[in-house]
Amino acid sequence: MTEAYTSVGKSFQRIDGVDKVTGSAKFATDLSFANMLHARLLRSPHAHAVVRHIDTSDAEKLNGVKAFATIFEVPKVIQYWFFLRNEKKKQQMFLCDNIVRFIGDPILAIAATDQEILENALALVKVEYEPLKAIHDPLDALKETGVTIHKQGNIAFKVKKEFGNINAGFETADVIVENTYHTSKQKHASIEPIGTCVADFQSNGRLTLYSSTQLPHWSQHYLAEIHGLSLNAVRVIKPYTGGAFGGRCGLIHGLEAMCSVLSRKTLRPVKMSFSRTEDFSATESRHPMTIRMKTGATKEGILVANEVDILSDTGAYGTHYIGVIADCLSTGVGLYKIPHYSFQGTVVYTNKSMSGALRGYGNPQMNFAQESQMDIIAQKINLDPMEFRLKNYRPAGEMDPVLNGMILSNGLEECLKKGAASSGWKEKRVRPPGHGPLKKGIGLSIMLHGTGAARALPDPGSATIMIHSDGTACLMTAAADEGQGSRTVLAQVASQILGIDFKDIRVSDTDTDITPLDCGTHGSRQAYCGGLAVRDAAVQAREKILVHAGNILKTKSNQLRIESGIIFDAFNLDNKISMKDLMQKIQIQDMGICAQIIGSASGIAPAMPGYYGAVFAEVEVNIRTGEVKVLRLTSAYDVGKAINPELVRGQIVGGGVMGIGFALTEGLLLDKGHIVNPGFSDYRLLRACDVPPVIPIIVESNEPTGPFGAKGIGEGAMVNVASAVANAIYHAVGVRLTDLCMTSEKILGELQKH
Amino acid sequence: MKTIRININGEWKKLKVNPQDRLIDTLRGQLGLTGTKEGCGEGECGACTINLNGKAVLACLILSVQTDESRILTIEGLQKGLELHPLQTAFLNESAVQCGFCTPGMIMAAHAFIRENPEPDMQMVKECLANNLCRCTGYEKPVKAVLAAACSMRETNHD
Repeated sequence: MTEAYTSVGKSFQRIDGVDKVTGSAKFATDLSFANMLHARLLRSPHAHAVVRHIDTSDAEKLNGVKAFATIFEVPKVIQYWFFLRNEKKKQQMFLCDNIVRFIGDPILAIAATDQEILENALALVKVEYEPLKAIHDPLDALKETGVTIHKQGNIAFKVKKEFGNINAGFETADVIVENTYHTSKQKHASIEPIGTCVADFQSNGRLTLYSSTQLPHWSQHYLAEIHGLSLNAVRVIKPYTGGAFGGRCGLIHGLEAMCSVLSRKTLRPVKMSFSRTEDFSATESRHPMTIRMKTGATKEGILVANEVDILSDTGAYGTHYIGVIADCLSTGVGLYKIPHYSFQGTVVYTNKSMSGALRGYGNPQMNFAQESQMDIIAQKINLDPMEFRLKNYRPAGEMDPVLNGMILSNGLEECLKKGAASSGWKEKRVRPPGHGPLKKGIGLSIMLHGTGAARALPDPGSATIMIHSDGTACLMTAAADEGQGSRTVLAQVASQILGIDFKDIRVSDTDTDITPLDCGTHGSRQAYCGGLAVRDAAVQAREKILVHAGNILKTKSNQLRIESGIIFDAFNLDNKISMKDLMQKIQIQDMGICAQIIGSASGIAPAMPGYYGAVFAEVEVNIRTGEVKVLRLTSAYDVGKAINPELVRGQIVGGGVMGIGFALTEGLLLDKGHIVNPGFSDYRLLRACDVPPVIPIIVESNEPTGPFGAKGIGEGAMVNVASAVANAIYHAVGVRLTDLCMTSEKILGELQKH
Repeated sequence: MKTIRININGEWKKLKVNPQDRLIDTLRGQLGLTGTKEGCGEGECGACTINLNGKAVLACLILSVQTDESRILTIEGLQKGLELHPLQTAFLNESAVQCGFCTPGMIMAAHAFIRENPEPDMQMVKECLANNLCRCTGYEKPVKAVLAAACSMRETNHD
């Protein structure tokens, strides 16, 4: 069957490629409309304060200043969209008060005719603050300090789960290892800054919003709530987006809400674009975590118990705070067969910029701790780290106790074996680290990540396909493509099922007036959840096509096949009609029919399958300077089925490089709530000359619930890089780093302790 | 306001600009050439790289008045009709594009670079692209694309 695929499994060029290489792709920042106003935010200079009074009288006098919107009137959205489920929850979703909770928290927005006027107007606004004591250290949020960030308390969320009996588990352990890990406040750093939209509230009472969001339908829903509009009066269009990585599926305070209120007040299009500094200092980041982990195994190398206690810092507001800590639980428990597992998570508010979703969700933090623990244990019982993992991972056929389903596909063993062979694991593991100051080492780690969020969240996917009278097709989907290539992959799924050439399938832009309900892009879900919706829509269209073809060819439709745009009788190959002729006939020529073929589907995925991966990192550590160089990364991932292998490799390599950044160079630095490195000069991303070869290996375990066997990849590709690098550093120089990012200063400090 | 004369993508134009206008604003605003992107406005990300008199420069760090009597080439000027420039074709063929926001800057950096270095090796290309941040691709494919484009441009005597 696989050999017969004409579209699935092919590395077709991405459908948006020409737009992007010619500069004609329009991103939100490129949009401009007649009569458009520009808007900017005034942000709090205090980490925690009451806003007593806002005086805009001087600013109002400036010619060209058109409207103001303040936090007194525009609510902040402080919960994720599953809070729309009922009226009680809905009340908790919006917060309208006079408190600012981090440096950069928006206070008001101004709309004016140009940027220069805006700048002058912002300088003329007088704000009277009553500064409050602030909490900067998440540990202080747990204490009675008299500081209350939110009225329900400083603890945003607590979770406790126990599987088996943790104390009994440790009694059976021969080796117990306990450590505490810290992870950094990583930033998405998409090259198009987070936070651009144009709101166009028209005199007919309808709002159109152009926004570089990962969740267009979510924006539609909460804007309808804020403006008291019906959903059909709010239209959200997502133009091209310059990278997202989770940064556009959070709630970007002040952006869409403030902008749309300014547009409503002026009945003119209003555009707001955050600067790079605003992106770094006032949009979401990765949750910094402190993870205490106690792990026990028998001397034969069987894991028996793991006890996890996490303190997660969600910053001033929480949006993904529940999901991120839940992800630590599900990925930690799901990866290994550990009979006794205790998990405790506490999420606290602090007076810092918000934490939110970032590629991998809570998994990179959890994986760094757990995969470090696994290496330490393997070493203590003198077992090869790979053998140790092969003994203990949870294979297909086992039940996953958190996601509560049977694991139907797991290619981890193949990932480990292929990765080991390609990286030279066996030889490099026993190679001496080298004479002189440069020491080489190799380390590995594995990971599991869920695809989509079926049943954890409202997670709909939908698609509509219409076939034109010339046999070409248009696929309408709100599966937001942020650059990963989902539109290309979904066109391949449609092409495969309909037998229509890939090039003849156009994929619409995301537009809530046209594209049906989709939960948006998160959780590595679009090839799987989006793919299932497109598959089902295409199957429905195909069935309709074959009924018409059967009538015309005077044969049973179930013995018809479609290949390369030709519909033919499998038992009489000469009995055939081209898709084009058939569509001409039924849509235009036969006035008794005149029907367009339209297929549609909507719903949730049947499962949330895990995808798996193994990363082998080879490093060189300079023991004089503490500098670490990653020499090579070998990243093997089980993606179920690679619908477009080149796009999958793109995710693996890009994720690998982002993972090296998380391991070695990236993290926001704060001083009393003030971010001291809000730009690319001090927040160091890897550049072209810094990156090692990343060798992507695709493993296909064929997930039975997936479209053509596919599951996710996007997030996982970075999840287990930092842990592999930490394990490699240990192999090279014998020091164990437990604190991200692993800078040369920290490594040198550890080396000097030896 | 000051009047300047520039050759933009092959066409001489007279423009009125403010002394404080950055070139990126003139390109994206007055001229509507939005292919040149602004990623940071601080000269760090390279997304606004254009060619000024054949050299790769950052349009966010140059004032428009400084470009009087200059030749400027932006991403919009590379394509001839529907025919793509070899660099554009190579970025497509090598899957060097993901979100595409850094792509115009990378291509324009490479365009000036290949003029000066028609036979580059991988290390030279990595150093050239080191001025351009990319968060999606991990750089490997863009580097390959520039090498492939240089090769094809040599073979076809393309500029």
